[in-house]
Amino acid sequence: MTSTSPALKLRASLFAVGTLLVAALGAYLLFGRGQLAIQTDLLAMLPATEQHPMAEAAVQRLAHANGDRMVLLVENADDDRAKAAARALGKALAQHKVFDSVLAELPPFDLGQMVAPYLAHRFWLLTDADRTALATPGHDPARALARRLNAPFLDGVGTSLQDDPFGWLQHWLDRQPWSRSPLLPEDDLLVAHRGGKTFVLVTATLAGSSYDDTVQQPALAALASAEHAIEHDYPGMHLSRTGAVFYAAAARAGAEHDVHMVGWISSIGIALLLIGMFRSPGPLLLAFLSTAVGVIAATTVSLLVFGQIYLLTLVFGAALLGEAVDYSIQYLTARANAGADWQASTGLRQVRPALLLALATSLLGYALLGLVPFPALRQMSVFAMSGMLAACLSVFGLLPALLQRPARPLSAPPVRWARALQNFVSRCGHGRRGVRVAVLLLLLAAPGWWQLSHDDDVHLLIAQSVGLLAQEAQIRAITGLGNGSQFYLVQGTDTEQTLQREETLDRRLQSMVDQQQLHGWIGLAGMVPSQQRQQADHALLTPLLDHPDRVRALLANAGFRDSAIDAWLAAWPGTPLTLDAWLKTPLATPFRYLWMGCHAKACGTIVLPQGPDDDTLLQRAADGLPGVTLVDKPASVSQLFGRYRRYASLWLLAAILLIAPVFGWRYGWRRMPRVMAPPVLGIALTLAALGYLHQPLTLFHWMALMLVLGVGANYAVFLHEGEPHTVHRPGAMYASVLLSAITALLSFGLLSLSSMPALRDFGLTLLLGIGFTALLVPASRGVSADQP
Amino acid sequence: MRRLIARVFLSCLLLCGTCLAAQTTATPATAPGDALLQHVLAELGQHQAVRADFVQTRANPALAQPQASRGQLLFVLGHGMLWQTQSPYAETLALTGKHAARIDAQGHAHPMRDARGVDRISQMLQSMLAGKLDEVLRQFNVTATGTPAQWTLRFTPKQARMAHVLENITLNGDAFLEGIRIAMHDGGSTDIRFAHARDAGPLSALERRVLGLP
Repeated sequence: MTSTSPALKLRASLFAVGTLLVAALGAYLLFGRGQLAIQTDLLAMLPATEQHPMAEAAVQRLAHANGDRMVLLVENADDDRAKAAARALGKALAQHKVFDSVLAELPPFDLGQMVAPYLAHRFWLLTDADRTALATPGHDPARALARRLNAPFLDGVGTSLQDDPFGWLQHWLDRQPWSRSPLLPEDDLLVAHRGGKTFVLVTATLAGSSYDDTVQQPALAALASAEHAIEHDYPGMHLSRTGAVFYAAAARAGAEHDVHMVGWISSIGIALLLIGMFRSPGPLLLAFLSTAVGVIAATTVSLLVFGQIYLLTLVFGAALLGEAVDYSIQYLTARANAGADWQASTGLRQVRPALLLALATSLLGYALLGLVPFPALRQMSVFAMSGMLAACLSVFGLLPALLQRPARPLSAPPVRWARALQNFVSRCGHGRRGVRVAVLLLLLAAPGWWQLSHDDDVHLLIAQSVGLLAQEAQIRAITGLGNGSQFYLVQGTDTEQTLQREETLDRRLQSMVDQQQLHGWIGLAGMVPSQQRQQADHALLTPLLDHPDRVRALLANAGFRDSAIDAWLAAWPGTPLTLDAWLKTPLATPFRYLWMGCHAKACGTIVLPQGPDDDTLLQRAADGLPGVTLVDKPASVSQLFGRYRRYASLWLLAAILLIAPVFGWRYGWRRMPRVMAPPVLGIALTLAALGYLHQPLTLFHWMALMLVLGVGANYAVFLHEGEPHTVHRPGAMYASVLLSAITALLSFGLLSLSSMPALRDFGLTLLLGIGFTALLVPASRGVSADQP
Repeated sequence: MRRLIARVFLSCLLLCGTCLAAQTTATPATAPGDALLQHVLAELGQHQAVRADFVQTRANPALAQPQASRGQLLFVLGHGMLWQTQSPYAETLALTGKHAARIDAQGHAHPMRDARGVDRISQMLQSMLAGKLDEVLRQFNVTATGTPAQWTLRFTPKQARMAHVLENITLNGDAFLEGIRIAMHDGGSTDIRFAHARDAGPLSALERRVLGLP
């Protein structure tokens, strides 16, 4: 013992120094670079689903166009109170630096500003209705003029008669999105009236990203205090809100709650278990030390590889504690079982095959997880692999130096219970009875399998707060904002081709609107037609305006003054409107994000449909149109999930086939099926249970089953490798396996209470799978050798 | 923006059209405590459907002489109106509150896509009929002068943006509405005079169809 000590101590010191260095690096990566490297943007952890990079860019663009601002709707049955509250809210928010700008009261502006920029282009812009009318043979301009002049009640309200005698520009302006908003300016506020209530819109643009902690928290705090104040001052006020910042904060809060719950409960549970089993606090500290090494390494490696940590990984990481602790448990059990004969290095040699085999199967399982091209799963895989590896290495490097002295044997009662259970299961698992039990289990399982279904909806991954979704729906209904998750990307080689292609799409969308399948859409071609279309529209006016005398006679007959006629004729022909010029106008500001710009031979623009989000209907509008793609991120991700769910079942089979030869080599081909049986049966029974529970299978269930295979195989390995060394303490080895299983259940099982559906599925599957496997594992050992 | 104003104008005017036959049995307490206004609304509200001949005269700074058009109006309580111009051209517009349409010679309705403001007209119309003057009072100050036998209601815009363009709207009448005058700040004005206002009697099949009556 004394001869090996210095070597062990040197190794332990080096390991400790290495761990500290890794910890320091991890701390720097996590905290040392300005903002906390924890990613709360749920979009960021979804896989890239779009083939074209511009489509992915557009998804990001839309998320941020609608994302980095708060959209607030003040509601009150009393009109004056609603408006006063909105003003007060705007003022209160504007005092905070965390908002770049707050829009409650509209800035004063001249009505002419809406018309003036278009006057130079008035002979180039026509609505569909005017275009059709002008192109109709026998179109009578005198009649059109008379209609405009004698329209009931009002004339020239959009444009003046002098600027626009025929009303072409007025009609065109009427079709612009800002003219069709359900919100109207009233008392200098944007207001809607529904069901006897007044709704006032207030928007606040954040001075940074919604996902930036230094922006998110102060912004929410500012809103909370402002809301509190106006609720007090204006009774009956109700505030609806939407914006990525709220979803991000809710997701973060949910994840933090999960991490705390899973982390603390499992830590305390594991601590109590370990103290109970080993009857001393020392092993407990060592087990946590080893786990801590694993978590530190996992965090650091993940940060190095990905630059940031996803919320999902964080929660998953908290659960990983339960598996990482297994390695030290095995070593500690070996010490407890050795009694006074304990030698640290001999003990290490004794557990080495079991640990390495267990590590190999775990790494194999997690590596398969990492094959999915899905950032969140990849990170979980890297996190788990580095964590497990570090935790296992710490058992070899760190623990022996700290475990020089022998320990008391394991607590007797649990060993006794374990032995009783082991004997029972073992007896049931052998001979003719074993066959009967297996058949019975499979018969019980079959109806469960029959009831299995699946569901790949991305919302299973991202649980958005129901309250926030309801508020968003209300705000959308009242303000007419689009849903933002479905849109068309229109691409062309240049601006002109792109706009022409959008016009082709617009024709189909218009017919959908006519058939009441769609409420409307917002796209740039409606605001800046292609040059081709403008030329054509201009050409429709040419026959009339190229004959000034005819026009003059026409207008004079209708009663126009000569000065008005002169001014109008002088404006002909004017110039077409160009996209570049239009994008620079203040009117374009709210729509600028629709233009993706031109990169590497391709230009792109976004068209936002408004109304029912029927995917097949929207897809039909894009079918067969060159350069037009319907981008539906949730649907794409759901499809991808579905595809990988189908692959995952094959991968599980492949993993079983991969492990089989390893076990065959180690335990002999005849015993191999018996060793494999517990994890494989565990998976089968888990599937049946999920069927009985009517849990639709998702990709995450299959990922969890892969872990069940890895962990379950570990238990078989531990039992097989350990039993020969604990013949003098029957039941002790199984007790340690059960200890491992219970710690895993404590941590993974708690995931089934997570606020994230994906982790809930994951946790429940592991709970069932590990539970079944741990119960079945004694059947994998022969009866005769141990129970004479 | 001006479109918005147009919409509100139109809404208001339609409401004033409603005055032809406004149902005001439940005049709200929120309305100005003006007995004359209440009386006028109550009086007008006794007619379910009204027909009248109209003459619309429009002056505009761009026009050397005013434009005049004439025709017939049918107003049906809760359903909207038919504006039938007979001169200088023949055309029928159906303004139902849900949609605006041009009715061709064969009686077919052609929806006017650029007339989305009718949504709001419909809403205001309904709320007015439900006895809520709030909508109008949010946009206008209302003053009533004269006697029940010869009254004048003047609507002056409250909202600065609208007041910038619109000077006021004046309604006058006796048992029926006699006239509407809309004065603009640029000197333009629209003056509508009604004559032969009478209870409409039975509606034709076409009238019922385009106004969406059962």
